[in-house]
Amino acid sequence: MIRYSVFIFSLLLLLSTQAHASEETYQFDTDAQSALFFELTKELRCPMCQNQNIADSDAMIAADLRRKVYQLVNEGQSREQIIDYMKQRYGDFVYYQPPVNATTVWLWLLPVLFVLFGIVLVVRSRQQKPMIQDKAKLEAAEKLLEEDK
Amino acid sequence: MRKLTFFLLPLVLFIGLAIFLFQGLFSNPREHESPLLNKPVPSFVLPDLMDTDITYTTEVFVGKVTLLNVWGVWCVTCAVEIPYLEQLKSEGKHIVGLYYDQDIDPDFGIKTVARVQQEVAQKLGQLGNPYAYNIFDVKRDLSLDLGVTGAPETFLIDKQGKVRLHHIGDINPRVWQNKFESVYAEVLAE
Repeated sequence: MIRYSVFIFSLLLLLSTQAHASEETYQFDTDAQSALFFELTKELRCPMCQNQNIADSDAMIAADLRRKVYQLVNEGQSREQIIDYMKQRYGDFVYYQPPVNATTVWLWLLPVLFVLFGIVLVVRSRQQKPMIQDKAKLEAAEKLLEEDK
Repeated sequence: MRKLTFFLLPLVLFIGLAIFLFQGLFSNPREHESPLLNKPVPSFVLPDLMDTDITYTTEVFVGKVTLLNVWGVWCVTCAVEIPYLEQLKSEGKHIVGLYYDQDIDPDFGIKTVARVQQEVAQKLGQLGNPYAYNIFDVKRDLSLDLGVTGAPETFLIDKQGKVRLHHIGDINPRVWQNKFESVYAEVLAE
């Protein structure tokens, strides 16, 4: 019985390695390089099929970009160098993190400004409440107090 | 006065947002400016598609205005575009093909060059040939350096070999009139 299950188990193992072989396989010298590759392919956007990263996309261009990333990683290029390489060819668009410049700075500024504006509004409306009380009413109240004495 | 601003402020914000979003309805998400604009074509050494003994470098673009058209026989839109390119050619425009094959895997290379040549000859026999010659981007390296996302795409290259326009998608009379015509005239006059 045990013999059979070992046999079946090893058959299953064979199957699983075969399934793996049909996909792209990249060999790396170090674990750091492998980690960098997987990180970058997740952060780079496929220029053809938008809203997919190049790790996720089946488009030919995505496969070409993955191969290029692999090649550059293996050449020992740094993360920044590879991102720059892609940006030089496909523009800022290719990297999911937008750069901060005169047009995009509003993405960060607007929400902050909005919250600040709201805070100012709330604070001001709170402060103004005591101001609403009438001077005449106050004086009348004061008089009543005086009379009671 | 205070009441009026309280009433108008949300309205103004809403109108601003509505205009912003409305514009988005008509913008093309695939349209983004090429970082290569006004820069020379990246250097390459690639063979001619039909005669691999001939090699081309960036020097082929110097001295004339070129329309570099990225295409392949597997590309359906390219087949639609080719008749119009022929018309442009008959108007005296210099059109060069940048050919790449989908089935050639740079790591394995399934298809032979002879097979590709045969397919191309057959396709251009059917549709007509607008190309002065075709550069064969064997491993799609030049395409990657040019920021090509697919086919068809067209680059307008000036007499100094600089990229002046990068169009993603096919060229048709409307695209030519709206996008190419004025830049082409400008580049030609230089």
